[in-house]
Amino acid sequence: MKSLAAVTLGLFVIAACVLAIAQSSAPIQLPQVHLDAEGLVPRPIEQLTGTTVAHHYALAWRDLAVALESGRTDALGEEFVGFAHDRLTRRIGEQEQAGLHVRIVDHGHNLKAVFYSSDGTAMQLLDQAQLEIQTFDGDKLLNTQNAPHEYIVLMTPGADRWYIRDLEEVSAKSF
Amino acid sequence: MRRILENGFALFTRFTVLALLCGSANWASAAELQVPAVVEAGRGFSISVDGSGQATFYLVGPDHLVKRTVSLGGDLQIQSSDVRAAGRYQIIVCGSSCTSATFEVKAAQPAHLSFFLHPSRVPVSSPDSIDASAFVFDQYFNLVLTPAAVNFRITPASGTGFSRQVMTRRGVAWMRLNSTPHEGRVQVTAVLGNVEEARVIQQVAAEACGLRMKTVASGNRVTLETDPVRDCSGNTLPDGTIVSFTKIDKLGKSTVDTPIKKGIARVQFSLHGRVQISVACGVVLGNEVALNGGL
Repeated sequence: MKSLAAVTLGLFVIAACVLAIAQSSAPIQLPQVHLDAEGLVPRPIEQLTGTTVAHHYALAWRDLAVALESGRTDALGEEFVGFAHDRLTRRIGEQEQAGLHVRIVDHGHNLKAVFYSSDGTAMQLLDQAQLEIQTFDGDKLLNTQNAPHEYIVLMTPGADRWYIRDLEEVSAKSF
Repeated sequence: MRRILENGFALFTRFTVLALLCGSANWASAAELQVPAVVEAGRGFSISVDGSGQATFYLVGPDHLVKRTVSLGGDLQIQSSDVRAAGRYQIIVCGSSCTSATFEVKAAQPAHLSFFLHPSRVPVSSPDSIDASAFVFDQYFNLVLTPAAVNFRITPASGTGFSRQVMTRRGVAWMRLNSTPHEGRVQVTAVLGNVEEARVIQQVAAEACGLRMKTVASGNRVTLETDPVRDCSGNTLPDGTIVSFTKIDKLGKSTVDTPIKKGIARVQFSLHGRVQISVACGVVLGNEVALNGGL
């Protein structure tokens, strides 16, 4: 009877693992990003630009979540460049070496564009993100942060997308 | 079936408890963390960790991660190299249980300016035609969010220079200014403390002003020549600027576009009876002349 119990437990564990693998390999939905560009200076934003910025910001967070959980720097995708890319690459590399991983449950971003240069080469945005961030060492959950997170973001345009050049978490006072 | 499940669950629970006991066998009592709320980038500091025995210490930052075994009950040194990137950091100490605390790293003193000047060429005497934006970064390329005064020093090729001070907001200082009346290069320098970044734009003549032509008739031909083409500030329009001469006679209307050479545009027409000729440069119309040809 004990062996049957062990088999049952084994099946349960396998089922749980398959479910977990299925969940992790399923395409991750883009997080919701709402962009507010009212009162933007020194130039207003075009509707198409706004849509593109929000879309690529969502892509960036999706890729970041995958990279932080998998420990793969290549999962960062093309949305991050410059300092932002260098910093995240270093962080993910060190995280992987230490055996840690981070899971981000993304409940959405409220972006506010606050500066858009006249020549259209730089846009600064503030992000109020609803994130649940879980830090694991191996399988051990070390910590869960479930508070709102605020970020200051610098984006620059490329040929077909907007890149994140700087992403810094700041205190809410900066808003 | 129920019994099978009960046995399975008991076995699972036993394994889990055993695993937890193994995992925490060498660990001591829970730690209490005392960390500063805000730290300047690149400045090491120490934190106080209560408790006794050994624990695993984690520092999770935007660009860096530290994991090491530490002894509880003393101060832990955080190296300056561990806190170079601005942002929110998390410290987690795991003994028998995990304790965590967060702190914020703010940018250090301004050390770099990222300066944009737009456009690269601008007509003279145009209001609000030049945009200057400066992003302020510290030595680790963190955006300096503390307000700082950026001086924009404008140095035209001729005439006196001037400067304007703008406070940064969220690390950005920007302003608009008028182009000056004289063509030539204008250097704009963003200055913050000892940090300077210079950019140059070219001011070019604006639209033509008071465009006039004169005629020199010779038989059935006439040569039309403008006075030196200048803008309203007296700057000569650059060579290559197109001037259009339009002739209307009994054969109809014909236009000749010709570039300015050495400040003057010149063209030759043949005349057929009564002719009316006008001159234009861009959106500016010049004078008209009426002539009588021989045919």
